[in-house]
Amino acid sequence: MAYSDKVVDHFNNPRNMGSFKKDEEGVGTGMVGAPECGDVMKLQIKVQNDTIVDAKFKTFGCGSAIASSSLATEWLKGKTIEEAQQIKNTDIVQELNLPPVKIHCSVLAEDAIKAALADYQKKADSK
Amino acid sequence: MDGHGHTHSTSDRRELQMARSMCWHCQSEVSGEYFCDRCVKVQPVSKELDYFTCFGIPRRLSIDQQKLEAKFYELSRAFHPDFYQNKSDAEQTISLGNSAMLNTAYRTLRDPIQRAEYLLDLEAGAVKDIRTTPPADLFEEILELQETLDEFRASDRASDKAAALRTQLQSERATLEQRQRDMEAQILQLFGQWDALQDRGEATEQARAERSRILKDMRVILSNRTYVKNIVNDLVATIA
Repeated sequence: MAYSDKVVDHFNNPRNMGSFKKDEEGVGTGMVGAPECGDVMKLQIKVQNDTIVDAKFKTFGCGSAIASSSLATEWLKGKTIEEAQQIKNTDIVQELNLPPVKIHCSVLAEDAIKAALADYQKKADSK
Repeated sequence: MDGHGHTHSTSDRRELQMARSMCWHCQSEVSGEYFCDRCVKVQPVSKELDYFTCFGIPRRLSIDQQKLEAKFYELSRAFHPDFYQNKSDAEQTISLGNSAMLNTAYRTLRDPIQRAEYLLDLEAGAVKDIRTTPPADLFEEILELQETLDEFRASDRASDKAAALRTQLQSERATLEQRQRDMEAQILQLFGQWDALQDRGEATEQARAERSRILKDMRVILSNRTYVKNIVNDLVATIA
């Protein structure tokens, strides 16, 4: 199976790789994984005034999982919390041209986004 | 229908769920016998046949290994391709198909983890599709471990740093293997709960809820165990 050019591009030049401190102000962290394939994905957002000003990820997994999370961080930057909620795994599938066997990678990325947003919300609410 | 009463006892009858209700060879009726009553030709077993039924044991998670083995040998004697070398192509093909199914069934039921996975596939249906989320602390552990593994892969194997990393990885391996053993113990506990519930045979709302809970718990633990096991394999391969 050949990866699409976009997957290869994200894989070779991943955007926004790295991490923020978990307890930093305005940071939401999403940790997800797929036991079936052993992938693990950490996606973080930094929020100011309801807008995501920065996003980072760290993924151990296949090329598609890395590309999905890399793309997700690109898309997240500049979006409001509400807009970020709207990102769907199918958008990622379409953008990266993922084949059926790799759709679960995009699901993982969507789960990571949701988890990061939920974590941010939880921290914001508890203040 | 059943006026003779003999079909109640399946233990000593050569009966299984078969693929067809008619002998492929002489077209006479076969009601579950795996050799045709009339022409004595071997019959193909049904693809739908579940492994527990195949071995004539109840759908429980604690099973009698000796009984399983005895039945396996008995059926092997009936189906093994060695006994069909001088038979027709059709019979050889059936013997091969039946034996392959029998071997898979035996391997699956013999191993407690595979047995549990199989039971879940049979029983769970909807539960199977529930996506499981391993606990967050497990992810943290695995993420850190993956980082260490990356560092180790990039390091010069002869250096002190690599040696230190290797020691660290060894200890993480021990932690993960302990975790895996803990999960296996939890699964065995669920075995007991499942079997007890089946033995009670209640059809109450409460029993149904209990059933779903056990199946779901089992699915979660099994999938986390696989996760940990894969990581451990990866770790072992890297530091080898």
